[in-house]
Amino acid sequence: MKKLLIAISAIAAAVGFTAKANADISVSGSSNAAYLSTAGNGDDEELAVGTTVDFSMSTTTSTGLGISAGLSLSTDYDSNNSDTATGGRTATFTTGGATIVVGDVEISDTVGSVGGVVNGPLDDASDLSSSVATGFLDDDGMGVELTTAMGEASLNISFVSNDRVDNHGALNSSTSGEDSAMSASITMPMGDYSFTIGVADSDSGESSSGASASASIGGGTLTVGYSNQTLIASGNSSLSTAGDSEVVGATYVMSMDADTTISLGYQSAKDADSESHTQTDLSVERAMGGGATVYLDLRNLDGDTASNADGTAIAFGTSVAF
Amino acid sequence: MIKLFFTLFLMFFLQSCSKGLFNGDVQKNLKAMDKIHGVCNNPYREYNKAQRKICEDKERAAGPDGEIGEPLNISQIIRDFRSGGTSTQYQGTSMSVNKNLWEASLIMLDQYPLNIVDSQGGFISTDWITEKESPNQRCLIKVKITSQELLSNGAKVKLLCEQKELDSWYQDEISYTEEEKNLTLKILDIANELSLIDKLS
Repeated sequence: MKKLLIAISAIAAAVGFTAKANADISVSGSSNAAYLSTAGNGDDEELAVGTTVDFSMSTTTSTGLGISAGLSLSTDYDSNNSDTATGGRTATFTTGGATIVVGDVEISDTVGSVGGVVNGPLDDASDLSSSVATGFLDDDGMGVELTTAMGEASLNISFVSNDRVDNHGALNSSTSGEDSAMSASITMPMGDYSFTIGVADSDSGESSSGASASASIGGGTLTVGYSNQTLIASGNSSLSTAGDSEVVGATYVMSMDADTTISLGYQSAKDADSESHTQTDLSVERAMGGGATVYLDLRNLDGDTASNADGTAIAFGTSVAF
Repeated sequence: MIKLFFTLFLMFFLQSCSKGLFNGDVQKNLKAMDKIHGVCNNPYREYNKAQRKICEDKERAAGPDGEIGEPLNISQIIRDFRSGGTSTQYQGTSMSVNKNLWEASLIMLDQYPLNIVDSQGGFISTDWITEKESPNQRCLIKVKITSQELLSNGAKVKLLCEQKELDSWYQDEISYTEEEKNLTLKILDIANELSLIDKLS
């Protein structure tokens, strides 16, 4: 009997390793099907169908450090037969005090640039195309991103060491066109309001600053924002004169009932070429249960646009989350 | 710029403790911002394009007052299958006992065949455990989870052993208080680790 008891007692010593090695692989996915009445050449009527599957892997070390990575497979709904594998270019390390992402990171060069509320197919395939230049020419690349908490405030610092490569390449490249960039943003809650301010700078000569404020008003959430971006003309097909672009926008998201959401968005933008646009969005979504949703999205774009790329585009469709 | 790169790394390692500056909690702050921006559009959450698509579809499916469901966890299903096939009890229905204590018990008994696994009642019993070297002796372990909270008295372990005499099994009527105590402590130890992992994930 003693031998058996020793064996059972030995469980206690052995199982500790099992608990520490707590690696997880999770899979999730969604599928979309939408009818589009686009605003592009010929005002096409289109059907957009796509599916995305995401695999996430995570583990926690015995010291409590979380490490995660992931990879996605998708057939995008905004182009024909575009089967792609994406992701896998970052590793994320998490503690209670900070999250750091290493690899292909994106700087926050458009803080305060708000106004878009339509989702998925219409956002990607409306055929609406503004001539106004906003955002850096290249805002992502190989680098590191840190998010940490300072009391109730959250701070994000992103640094791209080389914007021409994503997950492998020279950190200290002196090759022309392989620029570094950096951004910092902080979000602070103040009572019923939340304020975000941010700045970004690239060695290419571009820089930006912006701010946004959010508040619960009238049963919904109102967000207003302003962004100023100093952009270069070289390599930018939307810009012939280097200078400042300004974006002013607002969104309002409100619940109509337990399953229905209505969102409104407005954005006005102007660049150094004195070109400007006004974009207005409307989105109505209704959850159907079982992971399914039906939605109606509408986007209107007026102002300086690419040829035959203004007007109103509509999408009606369903998305299913698995 | 390279110096700055390594400065950021240094900042991370300096931050590698349970709290940020001014006792800041990243996860708590993220959840607070989720209420303003929505989970998928929270600028401080890391999503690639595909992940954001899925997140938005889930958020829409949940509706204004809904919860975004957890993704299918393949590892959890495999773990549950190996430890008695209780995975379906984790999905969709709330357990009547503490999840961490329950999982810790399953992990601890993982290497033995399970006879009873009642997740709602919080009861697990192994089949008889025998050793090749001691064919005339056998034991079984019963675990009862009694609490919905992670409490030190939330798990009770009972060890029953029998001896074989003339082809019949008889209870040995020996008290195994020390062994039961060790097994209980191990369940609590694992449950604490699982709880920590939950908080960090």
